[in-house]
This record gives sequence, structure tokens and C-alpha cells, in this order.
Amino acid sequence: MQLIIQNLNKTYSNGVQALRDVNLTISQGMFGLLGPNGAGKSSLMRTIATLQEADSGSIFLDSLDVLENKEQVRRILGYLPQEFGVYPKIDAVSLLDHLAVLKGITHSRERKDLVETLLQKTNLWAARKKNLGGFSGGMKQRFGIAQALLASPKLIIVDEPTAGLDPAERNRFLNLLSEIGENTIVILSTHIVEDVKELCTDMAIINKGQVVYSGSPIEAIKEISGKVWKKRVSKPEIEGHKKLYDVLSERLSGGIPELKVFSGMHPGNGFEPVEADLEDVYFTQVFAKRRVSLSHELPIKVQT
Amino acid sequence: MFREIFQFELKYRSKRAATFVYFGIIFLISFLAVTTDGVKTGGAMGQIKQNAPYVLTMLSVVYSVFLCLVSSAIMGVAVLRDFEHNMEAILFSTPINKLSYLMGRFWGSFVVLVFIGSGTWLAFLLGDLMWWRDQSQLLPFNFWNHFQPFLLFCVPNLFLGGCLPFMNGTLSRKPIAIYTQGIALLVLYVAGQTMLKNFDQKNIAALIDPFGLQAFIYETQYWTPAERNQFLVPFTGYVLYNRLIWMGVGFVALVITYLGFSFNVVRKSPVKSNASGETFKRIDENAVSIPAAQQLFNYRTELKQVIHMAKLYFFSVVREIPFMGIVISGLLLLILKSINLGEMYGTNSYPTTYQVLNLVTGSFGLFFLIVIVFYSGELLWKEKSLKIDLIIDAMPVSSFNVLAAKFFGLVAIYVMLLLLLMLCGMAIQVAYGYYRFEPSVYLRTLFTDTLGGLILTTFLCVFIQVLVNNKFLGYVVCVAFLFLSSQIDKIGVEHGMFQFASGKLGTFSDMNVYGHFVYPFTWFKTYWFGFSLLLFAIAVIFCVRGSEEELNIRWKAGKQRLNRKLVAFILCGTILFLSSGFYIYYNTNVINRYRNTDMQNEMRADYEKKYKAFETLLQPRIVETNVQVDIYPSERDFTAEGYYHLRNKSDQPIKDLHIQQSTDDHLIIDYVKFDEAVTLKQADDVYRYYIYELEEPLQPGDSARMDFKVSFITEGFKEKNSSTRVIYNGTFFNNATFFPAIGYNTHYELAEDDDRKEQDLEKKERMLERNDSSGKMMTLFGDDADHIRFEVTLSTSADQLAIAPGYLRKEWQENDRRYFHYKMDVPMANFYSIVSARYAVKRDTWKNVNLEIYYHPGHEYNLDRMMQAMKDALEYYSVNFSDYQYSQMRIMEFPRYESFAQSFANTIPFSEGIGFITRIKDPGKDIDYPYYVTAHEVAHQWWGHQVMPAGVKGSSMISESMSQYSALMVMKHSFTPETMERYLKFELDGYLKGRASERKKEQPLELVEGQGYIHYNKASLVFFALQDYIGEDSVNAAFRRFNKAWRFKDGPYPVSSDLLRCIREVTPDSLQYVIHDMFETITLFENKTLEADYVEKDTSLFEVTLIVSAEKMRADSLGTETPTPIGDWIDIGVYSETDGTEKLVYLLKHRFTKKENTVVIQVSQKPSRAGIDPLHKLIDRHSDDNTRTVRKKLER
Repeated sequence: MQLIIQNLNKTYSNGVQALRDVNLTISQGMFGLLGPNGAGKSSLMRTIATLQEADSGSIFLDSLDVLENKEQVRRILGYLPQEFGVYPKIDAVSLLDHLAVLKGITHSRERKDLVETLLQKTNLWAARKKNLGGFSGGMKQRFGIAQALLASPKLIIVDEPTAGLDPAERNRFLNLLSEIGENTIVILSTHIVEDVKELCTDMAIINKGQVVYSGSPIEAIKEISGKVWKKRVSKPEIEGHKKLYDVLSERLSGGIPELKVFSGMHPGNGFEPVEADLEDVYFTQVFAKRRVSLSHELPIKVQT
Repeated sequence: MFREIFQFELKYRSKRAATFVYFGIIFLISFLAVTTDGVKTGGAMGQIKQNAPYVLTMLSVVYSVFLCLVSSAIMGVAVLRDFEHNMEAILFSTPINKLSYLMGRFWGSFVVLVFIGSGTWLAFLLGDLMWWRDQSQLLPFNFWNHFQPFLLFCVPNLFLGGCLPFMNGTLSRKPIAIYTQGIALLVLYVAGQTMLKNFDQKNIAALIDPFGLQAFIYETQYWTPAERNQFLVPFTGYVLYNRLIWMGVGFVALVITYLGFSFNVVRKSPVKSNASGETFKRIDENAVSIPAAQQLFNYRTELKQVIHMAKLYFFSVVREIPFMGIVISGLLLLILKSINLGEMYGTNSYPTTYQVLNLVTGSFGLFFLIVIVFYSGELLWKEKSLKIDLIIDAMPVSSFNVLAAKFFGLVAIYVMLLLLLMLCGMAIQVAYGYYRFEPSVYLRTLFTDTLGGLILTTFLCVFIQVLVNNKFLGYVVCVAFLFLSSQIDKIGVEHGMFQFASGKLGTFSDMNVYGHFVYPFTWFKTYWFGFSLLLFAIAVIFCVRGSEEELNIRWKAGKQRLNRKLVAFILCGTILFLSSGFYIYYNTNVINRYRNTDMQNEMRADYEKKYKAFETLLQPRIVETNVQVDIYPSERDFTAEGYYHLRNKSDQPIKDLHIQQSTDDHLIIDYVKFDEAVTLKQADDVYRYYIYELEEPLQPGDSARMDFKVSFITEGFKEKNSSTRVIYNGTFFNNATFFPAIGYNTHYELAEDDDRKEQDLEKKERMLERNDSSGKMMTLFGDDADHIRFEVTLSTSADQLAIAPGYLRKEWQENDRRYFHYKMDVPMANFYSIVSARYAVKRDTWKNVNLEIYYHPGHEYNLDRMMQAMKDALEYYSVNFSDYQYSQMRIMEFPRYESFAQSFANTIPFSEGIGFITRIKDPGKDIDYPYYVTAHEVAHQWWGHQVMPAGVKGSSMISESMSQYSALMVMKHSFTPETMERYLKFELDGYLKGRASERKKEQPLELVEGQGYIHYNKASLVFFALQDYIGEDSVNAAFRRFNKAWRFKDGPYPVSSDLLRCIREVTPDSLQYVIHDMFETITLFENKTLEADYVEKDTSLFEVTLIVSAEKMRADSLGTETPTPIGDWIDIGVYSETDGTEKLVYLLKHRFTKKENTVVIQVSQKPSRAGIDPLHKLIDRHSDDNTRTVRKKLER
């Protein structure tokens, strides 16, 4: 099974172009979607999840036209939005059972087994009789995951699922996902690069509505391997370095700024090589545009 | 700090479209109201100008109630929005102080609210200046008349309507609390409305209405048209108290808000404590694998899904505390209203199921509307507001099913409420000790008419909410739509096919049950149901699924939902809508005739223009009527075939015969024939005015026989006002409605000056002048006849009895039909009733007179009272006035479509609704109005039948007022004085209210123009006082003389001055002035006791000193008063209290010749209360200040 997205475009009424000519091919397994805030990840996911219209382009799940046959897609879809609420005055079992009915699971015994299992899997068993209104953020998130897994969906779209989960829960969830992801398309958006690295066989990086990279994380790392360098600098030096080098990131390491730069060859000047990781890939891709434009803007900036 | 927050609030609001949308809506509605006939809701009619201060105030108050809906939306969110937008954490950590924050938000929002509210008075103001307004209906522009009501009512109402939601929104941080409190206000408002109708609760009503409307109405209840045009309600009395109380409540709410509000973001945190208490449980993931579950997508699944969702929605609503609040307040109001069930003269009726249903559906109607508007919005926006929308929207359930589930959830709520109401209704019946339960009547009314209306309105609200796509705006649009759709008949759109959800089950009657109303009801409801299905389909297409909210994209996405099923659904709706529409049109406009009010008025005007010239044309008069009427109750048809003998009673030959046939649409004229040679000179089939020319003119004293046949055929159904005269059970009509008449009929003329003006007709006097020579020659029944010989044969279905005036000569059965032959042995008025129903009969005799009551089985409650009333009345009248002219007296019950009783010769049809189900609980206290009405109608056998007044001004003083006096005397001798006093209090209220809503001109009693408040209410007061002043015997003697002079005479007929002459003859000179005051002028008194104290001379001698003021006023026809010198004999009374009951120990008339007077009297018992005119014999607008408590005088 394959999800093929072609030339997908979307502009909101306020003029923001959320998706620009997006082309992606997503196969079974875990697919990671990386990108900064506002990059269009959620727009893309909502469009795949039948909740948003596209201006142009197409999405096909094998031969199923996702944009035209929403009803069909919803039958095999599991969707966890980035932010969501619950009916406050009913308990977890009841709501999950209700959602299971909406998913078309009419056999009540099967439904009961499924609901109970999912509550166990998401570690909500103990709280199953509690009103959802009293759930903590993490519990609610787990409930959201449980509902997304109802009825063995063939297409699972989870928008920042690990946000708000503690590390243990995050691990449980990722394990659960990968277990399911073997014969399912799982699209996972996140800004935690680690998640993608650990789980995904494929990934895409989106920035400003455009796919700036798609491929396997390992390939991506391979591509920039040997081109990332780091250096510890003092605070006043930062600005100067930024003008001279392609700075990928700046962070504090033991209280002292540490810059990472991208360069095809050794930049010298006290830089030392580091082993590239997915985060570097992310920064390379996300800031690639800026780097290009910077080289044009720089002279003007100097003049002013 | 306050300033910044205040300004920020103003700025924020001024950028919100909602602010201007609200302003626009308010402005538009107000503007429409004031510039169209909608202005009538404010009380502008007749002599009251459209921009009279009274009207402007009324409109301002009424619209400020509507404004409170907006104020909830504006003020409730002033603080709440910080929570809704999750801004609180950021905002509350800034160093603003609580007072500045709250007050800044409050006053900022309040200024915006006042701006929105000013839409009403700006609209009223501009409305005054519009060029199309009828200048004759307007007073000169007066800014203060516009502005004062805004200041006095609108702004305080907005303040109150702002403070409460502000408090609730801020403290509860839940939008729902805001609406619940709005409902509490509404309950108080409606409670006030209910209580104002009750005599003893009026002042409470004036205080508890938070919007001040009842206070305004209470203070102005007796204002005459002149006063309503002239004065603004002063800021005193109940208006002042009401405003102070409710402004005070507003301030208290603000203080509570301040005290109760804290900047804590988290108040209670069940979330944290529960979450942290949860133990982390490790389970072995591999041990459990997710089981496979089969997904099934078929119709059964869909059904199951819809039921599942509907259940969820149903319970989510009914478990809500605000919902319970709404229901409980509705039920409370219901109970409150049930106290005055079916009240007339302070006496309740038995709680029959239809009475209770009226009450239940009437008083709960508003709450249903709240539930519909509010919860249709709530449910539609439920997912969105809980932010679970994206999850639910991604579920494989069609939008159609989701909306349907919400719809059915709402319907389930209504069904539950209706069952609850049914139980409540029965509980009310039990509380009254009434055990004739009729569950089938409950079910058949509640689950057809009521539920049908609820369902249609729900479809509409769902549609509006979906299209508007903004919950709060949706509420406003829903309410505005419902309001406007209730007003469109005012602009001439009256046909039920254009009035949303039209179709009413009509009046239920024990006699005729649902009658013939069911059929059109079903068709109209089907029509609107079809229409609503289309609305629903549009809603399905446009409902937001996911995150797209723009209309064009919603259409793009919605098009995909147009699958085979939805198309079939739309097709069904269309077929239902169109086919029932065509069928209704065919019935109402093709086989029946439809005319809206304007068209009807136009026709009436046209008739007048064409034929008015014939009004006084000399015509022969009917001297004999012999007719056979065959009634077919189940078909609602009848035929009448027979003849008149017409005699030329004038001294000139008559060449042309003018025959006016009834213009009733159901009536077909089969033939008209004469025994003389005639040619049809002019035939007008529209107005059914026919002129026959006699070949040989009819010479003075000669007669002609006119044979005729008319058929009343009911086919299909009419748009509305379907005839309730010929019905399944309880047919009742009189000859004036359907039988041929002679010459021009003045009753067809437009009476209202406003209507006449629209049709370019001159203003018209309501009746002929008292000295009009042609008027004196005709009776109040018209100029077709004097007295007639009368004979009638009736036939009806085998299970019914048919009755007409006269004595039953023969009764037989033929062809499974029953026949009755009646003949009157003496000439009688040309006014006869025909009645047919399934009756039981109660018989009795008084002397040689047979007394019969024909009643609906089950309505036995008051038969004995009515029988006794007949006996007492016949006795009193025959002793004091003259002999009874017939040997039989009959009362027959007819359905409650009309509420009157009417006296025909030896025959009194009596409405089911005004006596048969009256519940006289305490005969010593309750006013026994079945007795009163019976006595009144029996008196008409004397006043109206023995003595027929001339058809001129003052005629009803003879027919109605004399009957009223007669009945009062019968009552006086069998009721307690306290009951009589209570009865007269109702009459005083009736008179003062009646003159307040006079549309043309108030007349003195002797020139009354058929005005009920004068010839009934005022006449009761005046005649009762008269017999108190000159003595019952003297009045009776005058009546006797009058009767003797005029009984059974043909024209000229007596006029009121003939009666007054008789009365003057028996009145001593010292009291002649009373007759001028009572009958010839409109005289009002302003009597008041200023001081009252006593000195105890010894244990059985008390000297009471009273300072009383007495004023006398004369009013003109509009109610403008001028003082007139006083020289009157007025009662002074002293009460003494023993064992908690007061008794009059002194009552004597004193003569007063100036305004302020000191009266010293001695009584033998310790006085408790004393004053001037304690029994309210004189007409006084402030009757509660006549007496006061007597205090012991302090020794100096």
C-alpha cells in the first residue's frame, strides 16, 4: 500500500500558503514528518485525514482518491490531531466504545475486547471509569492514541503524539506505534528529531509549505556526514561567525556557546569535525533556504 | 491602569465585527418595528399616536428584553474570553490590579453594550423622520420622548443585563452559566406578566419584573389615550422602586464579582490530584495484542451509530445543570400560572385537560424556544467547543448522520419534556381534585401540534447555526428570524404557506373535540416538514467538517456529500414540499377563497362605495319567516329553504327590492323567487347584492312572498378562520350570518378609522345619532323587520338534537334523520339561532314555565346553579318589571370557539367556556358567574326582546346595561355583600382598562356605541350606585314604567333618553345631578382620606375625625380631564375590627362642597379603618387610598 501525494497546494484565505507543490510517496511503515512550527505539517496531515480541502493536486491511497472519497478513507483512518479535547462528562471506556461504534465496529463483544485492550495498551486501564474531564494532559494524549488505533486502521496519522508525554510513556507509545507500523502507513509529525531517527524508515522535512527533503533518515545523515563542524566560541564572536559560516545551530554546552556549521570542507579556524546526526540534517534543510538567500542579502545589509 | 484596560476593551470591541453586526441587527429590527405596522406592538392604535411617549416607552422596554440576549453575549465574555482563549495564565501574571482589571473590562464592555442598545432609540428617532410615515399618526417630534425611555428603561436594563452575565461569566468561567441566569431573569419577567393579570398580585408583579415592563404597565394601566399621547411615565412609584431594586441587584452583582474573583488560574484542580494519584502500571505489551475487530458498513451500522450519538447528545444535555435549571424554572412558572387556571372574575374553572394543555403549552412555550435555540446551537457546536471536532470529523460517519443524530438527540429531549409536562398537567389536575384524566388528549395534542412545531423550529435553528457558522451570532439570528417571522403578517404576508411552521391544531372543545382542524393542520405541517427537510439537506451540505470554514470551500467539500442517498432525501423533501404545497394551494385558494386582511378591507370599502347610497332606501320589512333547515353535521353542510313575507310598511309604493345575500364563501344561493312578477335589474355576485324590479310596485300595506334556498357547502379547507359555525358537534349560527337580508348592510363597512383611511374613506361614526329618524324606526337587530311570525323545521343527524326559538310542535325520524318543527306563538324579533349537537337535557319548571338546559354530557357541574339563576331571575324580573312573555326558557351549550352567551326568544345558546366548567369552590367567596351570566341573559328577554331599543347610539344602554342591572339585583339578593363588592371591583378595573384602550372615543353611557367596557362594566358601577342613591324600588319602578310604555311595540323604538326620563321621574331633586354625572357625562372622582384619628370618649363612644379630599372630574372622549365643582353626597364609612374581620359600623352619605373637608363622627365601637366612599361606589382611579387606618389621637 502506498500513499502518493502529488502537486498538493493550499493557500488560506489570509494569504498564507500552507502547502506548495507537495509531492510525497509514503509506503507502509513509519513515516516521519519534520518541520518547524507553522511549516505546514498539520495542514498536510489534515488534508490527508480528509479534514481539509486542497486547492489543487491529488492524494491517492493506492487507487483510492483521498480528496474525493473521504468517506472511504475515514473507514481505514486513525487520526490523532495535534490538539484535541474530549467530552468531559463521560468515562474513558464509554467514549472509546462510542468512537468504536462510529468506526463501524458493531459487534459488541469484539468492541468490548478491543476497547479494553487499547486502554491497557495505553495504560489507561486503571483510569477507565474516570470522567475524561478529570484526565491529565498525558492521560488525555494516551486516550487520543487509543482512539487513533481503533479498528486496525490502515492509515494512521498522528500529529505530534509524544508532546506532553513523559519519557516512559513516550517509549511505550513509540513501541506501540512501531508494532502497528509494520503493515500500516503511519505518518508521524514531530519536532523531536530523535523520534524520527528511532522509528522511521522514511521521512520528509517540510518548511514553509514545501518539502525540502524526503528520504530515509539514514541516507540523509549519510549525505551530510563529514560536512558538519563545531566550535566553542565566546558570545561576542557569534555574530561574526554567523556572517562567515553556514551556522546550523548554536547552543550552550556547559554555559559556553557552541556553534555547528555546515561546510563541504574543513573550515579551519578552530572548527573540529563532528558526527552528523538527524538534527543536523533537519537544520541543514530547514535553513538551506535562508543560506541561499543570505548570500544575496548580505551586501545590502552591509550597505545599510 | 483602569484607563488602559478600559481603552483596550473599547478598542478591542471596536475592531470586532460582532459589535457592529449586533448594532445593525438591533437597529434594523427596531427600525422595521417602528416604521411599519409593527408599531402596534407598542400600543399605537386608534387615537394613540405612533410616536406617543407611551408607545415609545413600551417599545423601548420590550426591545431591551431582546437586547439582554446581546448583553449576555457581550458582557459574559468580557472576562471569560481570557479563559476561553487560554490567555489567563499570561494575563494574570502581569501586575494589573483586580479592581482595574474587572472595572476596565466591565465598563469598557458596558459602553459598547450601550452603543449597541442605542440602536433602538436611534432607530425610533430616525423612524419618526421618515417621509413615508403617516403624519396624522405622529405627534410633533420630541427628542425627550425618545430619550427618556432609553435612559429610564433601556440603560438600566442593559446594566442589569450586563452585570449578571459579567458576574456569572467571570466567576463560573463557563458560558453556560451566563445563559442560565438569563433564563432566571426571563422567568421573573414572565412571572410578573402572569401576576399582573391577577388582581391582588399586581404590585408584586410591578416589582419582580427585572425589566420594569410590568411596573410601567401597572403605573399606566388606567391611562386614557389622551394621557398616553401626552405623558412620559414619571420616575416615581413602582417604576422608581423597580428601577432602584434592579439597579441595586446589578451593583450587588458587581461587588460579588469583585469579591469572588481571584487571579488564580487554577482554582479547584481535580485534574492534578487525580493524575498524580495514579500509579504507574507496567504491563507486558507482548502479552496482549490488539484484537481484530470487524468493521461493518451498512444501514444497520448507520442506524446504530445515529442512535448511539443521539443518546450521547441527549444525555449530555439532560445531565447538564443549566438544562435542569431551565426545566425547573419552566415548571415553577407553570405551577404559578396554574393558580389562576381558566380564571374569570377571579373564579377558576375546572382543570379540564384542554385547559391544562393550554396552560402547559402556553407557559412552557417560551422555555421550549429557549431549549431549541440554545441547545441546537450547543449540540451543533459541541465538538468544536470541546476541541474534539477533528477526531469526530475523521470518523467514518456521514455528515448527514452526524446532523441527524444531533437532531434526534434534541427530539428525544423534547419527547422527555413533553412527557414530563403531561405528568405535571395531571398533577395539577390532581391538586385541583379533578380525576377525569384524558391521556389520549394529552398525547394527541402534545405529540402532534407541540412536537411538530418544536421539530420544525429545530430544523430551522440547525440550518441557521450551520450557515451562520458562529454560535452566538447564530443565536441572535435564530431569535431575530423567529421574531420577524411572527411579524410578517403585519405587512400583509398572512398566508400559512409563507409563515414558517404554520398549522395549528386549533381550539379543543369537549363537545367538538379536535373538530375539523386536524386535516388542514396535517397538510400545513407536512408542507413545512418537507421544507425543513430541504433546510436540513442544505445544512448537511454546508456543515463544517474539519477545518474549512469558508463558504465556497464548504460548498466544494459539501458537493461530495451529494451522494445518491442525499439526493434521494432532497427529492423526498421536494416532493413532500411541493405536493403538499400544491394541495394546500388548491384547497385554500382554488376551491376556497383566500383573501388577506388588506384584500378583505378593500372589498369592504368597495362595497361601501358602491352601495352606501342605498342605506336608507325604503324597503319592505319581513313580517313572517318560515324555513326548513337541514343540517348535515358530519359534512359540515346545511341547506335552508323557505320563505319570507315582506310587507310595505311605509306610505309610499316600493318598486325595487334589494336583497343582500350572505357573502360567506361557503354559501351557495340556490334560488330566490317572488310571488310577484319581477325582473332581476342588477346582480352583483361578488357582493351578492341583487336588485329586483317589481312589475307592479308594492303598495303601502301590501305584502309579497319571497321564496329562497341557500346551501352551505364545506369543501376542502380554508387558509385560516375556517368556519366554526357548522361543525361535527355543536353547530350554532343565527339568521344574520347566512340568510337573505333586505338592503344595504352597514355591518360590512370598515369600522376602524385607520383602515378607512387606508381605503380613502371618510371617518365614520360607529352608530347613528340618537335622534336619527330612520334609526328610531329600526331595532338594534337592524331594519329588515320589526316583529316577525316565526316557524322553522330543523333536521339533523339521528344522534343530535336541533333547536331553534319557538315551541316544539312535532318531532319525528325519517331516513335516519331527526326532524323538529318549532313555531313561536307570538311575534318576535327577527333574530333566531339554530343549534344542533349531541345533548343531554336537564329539565325543571318555574311556575308554568318549562326550564331546560341542553348540555354536553360530562358538563353537569353548574347545571343546578344555572337552573336556580333562571328561576331567581324569572321571579325577580316578573315581580319587578313585567310578566315573562314565553312559557319556556332554554339554555343550550355550544363549543368554546366563542365565549359568550346570547339571548334569543325563549332560547339562550351559552358557550362551553364561560360557565359550564366553572369551579365554584367557595360559594360565599367565589363569584358565581354561571349564575350571573344566566341572570343577565334571562334579563334580555325583557331588555332586548320585550323592549327592543332603537338602533342608535345608546341602544345597548337599554339592552345590555338594563340587563346588567337586572342581573346585579338578582345577584345582590343571593350573594353576600362582600362578593358583590368584589364583583364590582372587577367591573371598575374592567371599565378603567377598557377606556384606556379606547380606539376612537369614549362615550357617556347614554350614548354608548356598543362599547363593552361602558355598557357592561361602567353600567354595573353606575346602576349599582344609582340604586344605592335613590333606592332599588325606585329604579325598578322606573324600569317598570319604561317597560310598560314600550313593550312589544313596533317602531318608533325607544332610545336611552326615554329611559333616563323614567329614571329622572323617580329621582328626588337633590340627587338629579347624579343622573347627569352617571349617564350624560364621563365623570370620575378622586377621593382620598388624608388623615384619620379618633378620641376615646368612653368605652362605647369614639369620636372619629377624618380629613378627606374629594375631587370630581369630567373627561372628554379622549380622556382629557377637567375639574368640575363638587357638591356631592358621598359615603363616609368607619370599620371596626373584631376577631380579625372588619365590619362597617358607620356608613352614611355626607355632602361635600369643597375639596378638603373635615368630618367628625361618633361611633360606638373602636374604629380600625375609615374613609370616604369605602365601598367604591363612585368611579375612582385610585381606589386604594379611599380609606386609611384610624390612629388614636395623641393628647396634648
